[in-house]
Amino acid sequence: MLTRWNAGWSDVDDMFATMNQLRSYMDRVFAEPTPSRFAEGAPSAFYSGTWPRTNLIDGGAHLFLTAEVPGLSEKELKLTLNQEVLTVSGERHVNVPEGYSAHRQERPTVSFSRSFALPCRVNAERASAAVKNGILTVALQKAADAMPRQITVKAHD
Amino acid sequence: MSRQDGLARSESQPLVQSDQRPTVAPYCDVYENNDELLVVTDLPGVTSDALDINFDKGELTISARRNVLPENAIFLGAEFRNCDYRRRFAVPAGIDAGSIKAELKLGVLWLHMPKSDALKPRQIAVQAG
Repeated sequence: MLTRWNAGWSDVDDMFATMNQLRSYMDRVFAEPTPSRFAEGAPSAFYSGTWPRTNLIDGGAHLFLTAEVPGLSEKELKLTLNQEVLTVSGERHVNVPEGYSAHRQERPTVSFSRSFALPCRVNAERASAAVKNGILTVALQKAADAMPRQITVKAHD
Repeated sequence: MSRQDGLARSESQPLVQSDQRPTVAPYCDVYENNDELLVVTDLPGVTSDALDINFDKGELTISARRNVLPENAIFLGAEFRNCDYRRRFAVPAGIDAGSIKAELKLGVLWLHMPKSDALKPRQIAVQAG
C-alpha cells in the first residue's frame, strides 16, 4: 500500500479512501475475526469480536483481569466495581494526524464498555489497577470467605 | 475477510501447550505527508527491548515478542496471550533509511520514515523578468 507518491490522483484517492473507510466501518459492525485474530487461537465461545480483549486469571488470593488497551492512558479508562460485576469502559479515538493523508487504517476507533461477572466476591477497597505498555491490569483481592483455604486432615487412630 | 494464512490456527482448535507461541499480524495504520511516511502499529504489551525493526532492500519488517502473562496461570477466561508480532511492508524507493525514527508509547509504535529530498515537493519561485 505504500506506493502512491503523487498527489495528482487526489479525486481517485479520495474515492478509495471513502470506500476503505466504509469497508472498515462494515468490518467493525460485523466484527468479523481477521486473520490476525485467528492467529491468536482464542477460544471462539469467549471471543466474540469485542474490544478490548481480556483475560481473567485466578491467582489464589487475587483475581487478575488483564486487557489489551493500546494507545490508552489511565485517564481514558474507567473501571467500576458493583458487587461481583467489574465494568471496564472508555474510548479510543484514532484520528489521521494533522497534515497527513491516510493510506491504510486498520486500528479501530472504539467506544467500549465490557462487564465481567466475577466468580467470587472481592474486596472493593483493596482493588487496584494499572496500565502499562498498552496492557491494563486490575488486581482484585478476594473477599475473606472466598479465599482458598487449606484443610488439614487429621488422623484418627 | 476471514482468510487464514499458514501461521494461523483455526479458532475451533483448543488452546494447546503454552510454549507454542502464535505469530500475529498487528494492526497498522499508514499515513503520509510531504516529508515522511508514518506507520502506526498497535503492539500492546511490547517493551522496546523486545521490539525489532528492520529496513532492508525496500522492505520494512516489524517484529516483536510479547510476554505479559504468567506461565502457569489459571485462566478463567482467555482472549489473548503471549505471542510474537510480525508485519512486513514493501516500501517504495526514496526513504532516507538513516533517519528513520521509532517511538513506542502506550503500547503503540510510531515509525517515522522520512522521504529523501529528491521526493519532497518543492516550490518553484517565479522570477520577474
